Amino acid sequence: MLIARLFNINVLSVISLAAVWEIAGRLMDSVLMPPLSKIGAAWWKLFASGKLMSNLGASLWTLAAGFFLAVIVGIVIGLLMGRFRAIEHFLDLYVNSLMSAPTTAFVPVLIMWLGLGVQSRIAVVFLFAVFVIIINTMTGVKQVDRVLLEMAQSFGAKEHEVFRKIILPAAMPAIMAGIRLGMGRAVKGMVTAEMLLTLTGIGAMIMQYGSAFATDSLFAVILTILIVAMVAMKLVQIVDQRLTGWKVEIAVE
Amino acid sequence: MVEIQGVSKSYQKTVKDSTTKVEALSDVSLSICDNEFLSIIGPSGCGKTTLLKMLDGLIPYDSGTIAIDGQTVRGPGPDRAVVFQTFALLPWRTVLANVEFSLEFRRIPPTERSEIARDFLTRVGLADFANHYPHELSGGMQQRAGLARALAVNPKILLMDEPFGAVDAQTRQLLQEDLLELWQRERKTVVFITHSMDEAVYLSDRVVIMTPRPGTIAEILEVPLARPRSAEEVRRDPKFVELTNYIWDSLKKAMMNNNGGRAAAGAKTAV
Repeated sequence: MLIARLFNINVLSVISLAAVWEIAGRLMDSVLMPPLSKIGAAWWKLFASGKLMSNLGASLWTLAAGFFLAVIVGIVIGLLMGRFRAIEHFLDLYVNSLMSAPTTAFVPVLIMWLGLGVQSRIAVVFLFAVFVIIINTMTGVKQVDRVLLEMAQSFGAKEHEVFRKIILPAAMPAIMAGIRLGMGRAVKGMVTAEMLLTLTGIGAMIMQYGSAFATDSLFAVILTILIVAMVAMKLVQIVDQRLTGWKVEIAVE
Repeated sequence: MVEIQGVSKSYQKTVKDSTTKVEALSDVSLSICDNEFLSIIGPSGCGKTTLLKMLDGLIPYDSGTIAIDGQTVRGPGPDRAVVFQTFALLPWRTVLANVEFSLEFRRIPPTERSEIARDFLTRVGLADFANHYPHELSGGMQQRAGLARALAVNPKILLMDEPFGAVDAQTRQLLQEDLLELWQRERKTVVFITHSMDEAVYLSDRVVIMTPRPGTIAEILEVPLARPRSAEEVRRDPKFVELTNYIWDSLKKAMMNNNGGRAAAGAKTAV
């Protein structure tokens, strides 16, 4: 059993990388590339002192708030744009340009409008995530097989019933794809916001250790973010499986 | 009793900058008797699907009237149900839940819905597949489910839009036989759209031949073959052969007229 698990490719890959990192780090003996063991030690120090967890907590709160806001607003607007041509044409231009735009450029604007507090950080996370959710939701709605709509109408379904019983379930795979992508962008938004605002959270730690060349602590923090991102994605994946086990979809990115 | 009188429908077709008016249907009149099995056959663009959708109240007509038992058709209603060529089953629901779908708009309590759905699944031979998903079923089985869903709401008129067009030939024949059997038992009025002359003659009491541009009824044929019709015997009946050939000749002639003399059948030249 254990042997079979060890031969799991993922685990093998991680172990190889860890080994290479450790060896290379020791050989190079430079501040720029600390061996994994040093990073591990720094990580433990941060964890034990509570600094890592408290900062992480603050960051995650920002992430959750901004992300859920993006999901709700994103799905609603996406549904409306998908169902009603007029709304789509009206908002199309903005949604498309804002989705491809470097959202980071808007952060100073948000700081001006909302200050340096938690609102602007939540706003940044929201901004990073919402557009990809809108577009994928809208695409999902537009791709619903017309015959299914006709079928529902032929049996007497009214508009809101068509929406609830046909459009929403049919678009769900696309919506979930948008949410998955949105989650990735939300994490990026969270770190970006904190790095630029440098007051609290994980992003602040990155700026602090980066400028101090404390690379072992820096890498420790970065690895923590990666783990958080992976866990978040895994959670979204679990929800996705339960809601859309019946279909495979390709997402708009 | 369905009365279609002088129905016309046209729409604008825009290609690049020019807009043309396409007459999907022009002055179509037809009476359909109760419990009749009526087929409509014709080349693409003759308006047969448009007519069917109008009968179901899904699209409006520009002029004329469509009345069922004296009531003008204004929208879908409990007296009609459609069976679709592509089955139109909801992939996220089980087969049973799909059959229940039609019942959900009739104010029937959930437990009763389940019972009725199971009953009709049994009638189409899918009782063992109630908890399967549509993608796990073959095309023929999916269409049976579609049929069960339509029959579950006990419509007076069954509207079938090339229902067996998307299955293989053997399955098609089996489905035809099962449909006739069901029809004989349930006694509904059936309006059946098809491209196949064989199918039209085998199944129907009358065959309506339609032609395109504009969509009109060219001819209505009586099918004087005795019922019940066995699939094997009927196809050897000389009257069957005569009728199918006649329909084919009519269709070919109509298509040739519309294409200005160029034979539509077997045309290999790309336009």
